[in-house]
Amino acid sequence: MRYRDVLSLSLGALASNWQRTGLIALATTIGVSSVLLLTALGEGANRYVLGQFESLGTNLLIVLPGRSETVGGPPPLLGETPRDLTVDDAYALVAHSSITRVAPVIVGTAPVSIAAGLEREVTILGTTKELLGIQRLELEKGVFLPAGDPRRAASVCVLGFELAAELFAGNVAVGKWVRVGNRRFRVVGTLANSGVTVGVDFNDIAIIPVASAAALFNRESLFRILVEAASENDLAQGESAIHRLIAARHEGEDDVTVIAQDAVVATLDRVLTTLTIGVGTIAAISLAVAGVLIMNVMLVSVTQRRAEIGLMKALGARLSDIRRLFLVEALLLALIGAIAGLAVGIAGSSAVATIYPEFPIAIPRWSFVVAVTVAMICGIVFGVLPARRAAALDPIDALSKH
Amino acid sequence: MRVIDIAQLTLGAITSHRLRSVLTVLGIAVGVAAVVLLTALGEGVRQFVMGEFTQFGTNIIAVTPGKTSTFGVSGATISSVRHLTTDDAVALLRVNSVQAVVPVVQGNARVEFGKKHRRTTIIGVGADMPAVWQMDIAAGSFLPNDPFESSRSFAVLGSRMRSELFGSKNPLGARIQIGGDRFRVVGVMESKGQMLGFDLDDTVFVPTGKATELFNREGVMEIDVIYREDESADSVARALHRVLLARHGQEDFTIKTQEKMLSVLDSVLQLLTLGVAAIGGISLIVGAVGITTIMTIAVAERTSEIGLFRAIGAPRAQIGILFLVESALLGACGGLVGTGGAIALVQALKWFAPAFPVAFAWTYVLGALVMASAIGLVAGLVPALKAAKMNPVDALRAE
Repeated sequence: MRYRDVLSLSLGALASNWQRTGLIALATTIGVSSVLLLTALGEGANRYVLGQFESLGTNLLIVLPGRSETVGGPPPLLGETPRDLTVDDAYALVAHSSITRVAPVIVGTAPVSIAAGLEREVTILGTTKELLGIQRLELEKGVFLPAGDPRRAASVCVLGFELAAELFAGNVAVGKWVRVGNRRFRVVGTLANSGVTVGVDFNDIAIIPVASAAALFNRESLFRILVEAASENDLAQGESAIHRLIAARHEGEDDVTVIAQDAVVATLDRVLTTLTIGVGTIAAISLAVAGVLIMNVMLVSVTQRRAEIGLMKALGARLSDIRRLFLVEALLLALIGAIAGLAVGIAGSSAVATIYPEFPIAIPRWSFVVAVTVAMICGIVFGVLPARRAAALDPIDALSKH
Repeated sequence: MRVIDIAQLTLGAITSHRLRSVLTVLGIAVGVAAVVLLTALGEGVRQFVMGEFTQFGTNIIAVTPGKTSTFGVSGATISSVRHLTTDDAVALLRVNSVQAVVPVVQGNARVEFGKKHRRTTIIGVGADMPAVWQMDIAAGSFLPNDPFESSRSFAVLGSRMRSELFGSKNPLGARIQIGGDRFRVVGVMESKGQMLGFDLDDTVFVPTGKATELFNREGVMEIDVIYREDESADSVARALHRVLLARHGQEDFTIKTQEKMLSVLDSVLQLLTLGVAAIGGISLIVGAVGITTIMTIAVAERTSEIGLFRAIGAPRAQIGILFLVESALLGACGGLVGTGGAIALVQALKWFAPAFPVAFAWTYVLGALVMASAIGLVAGLVPALKAAKMNPVDALRAE
């Protein structure tokens, strides 16, 4: 039998039972499209999180005071140690060639108020002008903290987008005075709206010079040092340099933890990809169910077409011809479903993209391949039994029974 | 038609096409099993996490500096211009129905004994910590009930810390150095194990006042309060709120009851279970399409039978019911087989991997069973209507 004949016979059989064909194709469509949509959601979440981190700077090393020797334990996040990590420690790191710039950070909360009596308790970040570049912050108005000696406690501050809006209600904040705790600061700039962020919320925040924060909170020790390495290849070198330089300054004691942001991002990426694969796999169970359905309907079809099979055999069709005929039919069923599923999946994902433009939904490339391949494999595997059954029919028996 | 006749007829129809029925049931069964297994996993994880959190007891209220309502560490925990102090803790102890308070300061320092040293977590706590965090003492005693501002330099070791620094030697009475300050070991804690990645065994407990000196801090990071269990969390929280507001003059603190934290966590985890159940449910829908397909075929095949029934006086409704019962039966069988299979799998999993957190979400198991029958019913609706609508004369002529 020629391939053209096989194809036209199968297509004819499918078309003559269009209702049945439609239902089975629908089953595969549901399976394929749900795999595509769920993996697209997972991939979107992954891209969203990675994008958030990337917008906070790359080639970033974060230095925390304290170091735990607990194996596999969390880093000492709260950062209280007997020996202070100081601003001088931070700037000593710039001496190494692999490190381009550093931003020391002190964090705390304090009430921020204006003369009119409005007050808001927010996170206070004590840092230097380098933070702007390292964390890729954008200013809306004015300037960032001034350059100069980081030990000088200048009375200037930069307000986050939301804080400025709450305190000044649309009026220009730059140039005004605010009270942070018991000190007065002049607003020199406001940050642009950073949207929803992971980690620090830069919208509801006031940024002041690191020395002013140290005085405000009566605390010398830094909470973090953000270190930017010259390039990705310098990260490992930078990390060991930090340990060496700090130990040299801390009487030989290496009491800091260094976290590479890339390592954190890579871990997150792994976790989220695993989750996406897991969700996709659960959705793919429905493809197996669709496969069982294909087998069921093909078996019915074999029983109903006994006379046709008997006739073909009587006319000299080989076993392999009959087998091929039914296998191609099963495969076609799966293919129709897969193509419809692709269409529905792509349409659904672009619908989500239109409704939520800020969510970077995207069907991962492997998902297309896997969904279609699994659907086709299901068609073949579950088509084998009916095909063999059809081929095994005795022509005399098949013809006489009708 | 009598009920028994309907049962006989439908059973006959199902058993006459054995392979076809088995495959249809299998489709539904896979879907049901997926839902039951996935929710068992979800429920297992939920119970595991809740167990981790409730091991500190449920009648705890945590007071933290700074006004925030979100999870996670507030900037105020690190530093603030308005501190939460050990004096606040003493004041909270006087609140009615409060049984114990523990002001907490946490940090990281190097602990030395002789030539051995280890960098680890130092937690400053009060004498009531074992009662509040539900930890037991393995040797010696816990920190004595000194006033917070003049506590003696005593330290209690976590079990891991003891074995790392002292090996098989007796640590009681030994002098250790923590970040340069000298402490005397008065006790060793029983092992508590890991709590969500946080190892309380690799820890040294010192008096809160000593920890604030060591880390050169002014305030504490958290005050844990336990109250009498017959008291409601909300009323105690309100009382604490009143006392602190009177002391501070403004709301610069956050009060979180363990009860509320747990209920938020619980609802998040239940939502997750619902999510995986829904994804597993996709297979159930595909199985339903399978029932519809098979019932459509069955109606087409049995056209002459339907015609005969109608000709001898069976009303339309009865024909419809006949096919509906058949499809519902297929669905219910699928539900039973799927649940049975999933339960067997979970039991096997429990047998081979007892550490793996699985637990049946019985509401979901029951729900899946009911859903399977309902899906059978709904899936059979269109074919059954088609059968009921047949004209007896046309139906008989069709053959």
